[in-house]
Parts: sequence; structure tokens; C-alpha cells
Amino acid sequence: MNTEWAAEQIQTIRTLMERSALYRRALAPVATLAGFLGLAAGAGGWALEIGQPAGFAGYWMGVGAVTLALALLLVRRQAFRAAEPFWSPPTRRVAQAVALPLAAGMALGLLFIIADFKASQLGILIISWLLFYGFALNAAGFFMRRGIRLLGWIFTLAGLAIGYYWVLHGPPNILDHRLHLFMGAGFGGLHLAYGIYLYLTESKEISA
Amino acid sequence: MNPELMLQLDRVIHEKGRLAIMSLLAASPELSFTELRDTLNMTDGNLTTHIRTLQEAGYVSVTKSYFNKRPLTTCALTPAGRKAFAEYVSMLEKIVQQTRKLPVK
Repeated sequence: MNTEWAAEQIQTIRTLMERSALYRRALAPVATLAGFLGLAAGAGGWALEIGQPAGFAGYWMGVGAVTLALALLLVRRQAFRAAEPFWSPPTRRVAQAVALPLAAGMALGLLFIIADFKASQLGILIISWLLFYGFALNAAGFFMRRGIRLLGWIFTLAGLAIGYYWVLHGPPNILDHRLHLFMGAGFGGLHLAYGIYLYLTESKEISA
Repeated sequence: MNPELMLQLDRVIHEKGRLAIMSLLAASPELSFTELRDTLNMTDGNLTTHIRTLQEAGYVSVTKSYFNKRPLTTCALTPAGRKAFAEYVSMLEKIVQQTRKLPVK
């Protein structure tokens, strides 16, 4: 027994604790996928001139559902390649953390589909989605690494900034199909930026 | 290196399998028997023996319940277990630090 042994023991403990507590799937491909889908959906909604508010809410909820499904498939593939269980304790904890804010955002979106809202009221939906999504990322960040909480803060602060602007200066002048471009740039752009950041920093962390 | 430090290491935690169990539990509020077994690639019998030892030492609490009409066994660290684990890790760190201080011959 020597120092090396003790240091190895500490490293083993650290690794096991991380395995137990942290969600370790690679986030870069998931964030990049979400980014590209968001940007494409923004351009698609704008080009197709999808109406609002019900059409807007339905379209973006559909985009969210497709993105989530594809992201889960990616994660499942990663887990399969690493010969690890997909529904692991860390995965479950992340899912539990994001469930409430995401469900709340979905419920609000449904309300905009079934009720008769005006275009000027879409701000409520967009701001709420930004806030709820920010809350979800922040909650998930307690079980994940690599700046996911910061991304949550950015989404939340963006939601608050838009909310303040909307209330103090009135609705912006893009309350038509251009809102899709805003959504695409906001959700897609931020995810893509995060994905690129992860790709750029991931190799450094691994080699460190 | 001071051999006394080695002797102070908690023998219950010191065993490889039990240390792994304690490490996993230290990072989670609780884990099911299945989760522990699958994460550590242990057999049911091996894990049961280690958990029983940790339970007898007062380091781990075991709760038996039902989930979806199936029996569910969950394990968690007790306050004494958490303290013992922290002391064990701190002792390891001391060993590493002490030996690093020794002059290189």
C-alpha cells in the first residue's frame, strides 16, 4: 500500500460518485441537433406562413415533440454503444427534474390551441416557454455538467427581457409569420451555439 | 508514511466492493438494489452480503417496499455511514498528502 494506491482509491471513489450522480451522455450532438431543427423549423414556419396563435402553438409544440423524440433516440444510441442502460438513475433524475416545467409549457401551449387567443397575446406563450424551458434546463443542470445551468439562465433571462420589453414598449412589430424566425433564432440559435461550444471544449476536457 | 494512518482506515468500508457501494450511495439520496447491482456488475449474492455487512455496521439502511406491485429494495447511507465515508476519504487524502511531503531519495 502506498500513495499511488491511496490516490487510485480516491479516483475510483470520485468516478463512482460521478457515475451515480451525474448524467453522463454526451450533450453536444443533442444540442446541435436541437439547434439545427430549431433553425429549420423557424425558416419552415416563416416560409409556410403558418397562422397564429393556434397554428403557431401547434407548430412549435410539434417541433418540440419531434426534437425531443430524436434527442432521446440519440441518447439511446449513445447508451447502447457504451453498453450502459438507457434508463439509468441519472437519466431518471434528469427526466424528473425537467418534467414539471416542460409539462407546464406544454399545457400552456395546448391552451393556445384550444382557446381563442389574439395574436398580440402570443407574447404570453413565447415568454412562458422561454421561462419554463430555462427552469427545466436549470433543474436538469443539478445532475449534469457542462454549462447546462448557464443555458437555463440565458433562456430565463431572455424570457424576462422580452417580457419587460413587451410590457413597457408594447408588442413588437413582428406579430405575423416572422415570429417563427424569432423562435427559430432564439431556441435553435441558442442550442446550436451551445452545441458548438461543447464540441470545441469537449476534446480539451477529455485530453486534460 | 505514517503506518498509523493506514491502520485508522475503516475496515468495513475498506473492502473494494463495499467502498464502491458506499461511493455510489454517497452521491445519491437512495438507490435500488437493482441499480446498485447493475452499476457495479455484482451478483445478487455478493451485493446482498456486502449490504448486510454495511447494514450491520450501521452505515446503510435498507427499505423494502412495493413499486408497481413488485417488491422494491432501496438502500441509502445512514448519517453514521455518511460520516464514516467522509472520514475514510479524508484519511485517504491525508495518506496521499503525507507521502508527497516525504523527501525524494
